[in-house]
Amino acid sequence: MPVSIALADYGVGNLHSIRKALENCGARVAVVEDMGALLEAECIVFPGVGAFSKTMEKLLPIREDIVSRLADGVPCLGICIGMQIMFDRSEEGSSPGLGFLEGDVVRLKAKKIPHMGWNTVETADGLFEGVESKHFYFAHSYCGDPAEDIVIGRTDYYSEFASLVKKGNTYGTQFHPEKSSFSGMKFLANFVAFAEECL
Amino acid sequence: MRLLTKRIIPCLDVVEEGVVKGVKFKNLRGVGYPPDMAAEYERQGADEIVFLDISASVKGRKTLLDIVKKTAEKLFVPLTVGGGIRGKEDMRDALTAGADKVSINTVAVQHPETITACAEDFGRQCVVVAIDAKREGGSWVVYTHGGRRRTSVDAIEWAVRAQALGAGEILLTSMDADGTQDGYDIELTAKVADTVNIPVIASGGCGRPEHILEVFERTNADAALAASIFHYGQHTVAEVKGYLKENGVEVR
Repeated sequence: MPVSIALADYGVGNLHSIRKALENCGARVAVVEDMGALLEAECIVFPGVGAFSKTMEKLLPIREDIVSRLADGVPCLGICIGMQIMFDRSEEGSSPGLGFLEGDVVRLKAKKIPHMGWNTVETADGLFEGVESKHFYFAHSYCGDPAEDIVIGRTDYYSEFASLVKKGNTYGTQFHPEKSSFSGMKFLANFVAFAEECL
Repeated sequence: MRLLTKRIIPCLDVVEEGVVKGVKFKNLRGVGYPPDMAAEYERQGADEIVFLDISASVKGRKTLLDIVKKTAEKLFVPLTVGGGIRGKEDMRDALTAGADKVSINTVAVQHPETITACAEDFGRQCVVVAIDAKREGGSWVVYTHGGRRRTSVDAIEWAVRAQALGAGEILLTSMDADGTQDGYDIELTAKVADTVNIPVIASGGCGRPEHILEVFERTNADAALAASIFHYGQHTVAEVKGYLKENGVEVR
């Protein structure tokens, strides 16, 4: 039975590529506008579109319930802003984050911002198994600064930052796998396989 | 310290009927159909794709959004959409249809606060400010309305202001070089790329792979946009990237 993924729709941005990519990997995908539906999902994907406070607007009312689902081990992938909202807070906006990941989201320490383009991820994580090129697409001005031991992949852009984190069954990527061509598709296929194993 | 690889971006001009203007592409199904062409360029190694709506009519806009949606379902590199975007709601429509970034030009010059409003709602990484610049003596002047209307705005000053207002990237087209196939405007590109701290895409004038090498060697541009060099089957993206690599430019 293919895993059923709830893809959170915050009301802005391109969800077609991530939905199609996950479907191509064999998952069933439901795009959910009602954030409450995330609580019933077998697997949750927070896509990487939008700005911090706008994105959190829809999630704030069910913040604690979501965190307890993640703590219970429901497989989850947060991409870019979808990962950043899982931290306590962000320098980008005044809204609090979900607070599932300990730490803040901080502005990149770089001369040229946004960090926009293809960069490499140094990691030994299983989701990179079979990934031929380590180049992934990034488009962000902020990054997670975890206060706990969850960093499993790093990227160097003027200085090093956390580009891949994992806590329980929750993965967070600062890069966009759905925009990273063949490497990204392989990564997502590995994530879907991981989510199926979690069931 | 590691820097980003240089990006190669094929640009497709989409007309009202939803096809690409003037393309003679060999060995490709669905010639002129943007979703297929974009996917083919991804396969060749394109780092991003740009769609430019050159019809700028209501009918053309509807067709474009439909094309963007079909493209987003089979394209897994970033897609930028531009041409005739009149404000935040147009940008939202393009993003929802499947664009990852949207470029704005005329509306940004006429209502600069649009840049800030879009950056706040969608994130500044989505907001590309396109600048069409034409040389006048020792400086460059901004043109709007698809290059038809001259403004009194200085291009370098405008780039700095756009950055301050929230632009995530500058798509810089030299109107003098555009269409010549004689190479990018090195002086203009160098000046803008050295002045702002956001990524700059060089555009206009690319006729040969040497031109792309030149713009990366002589300026701090982050990306090079090109159309005819790819559309007419002269070179694949992979060939251009191989050439850049041989000459010491880091590409994906």
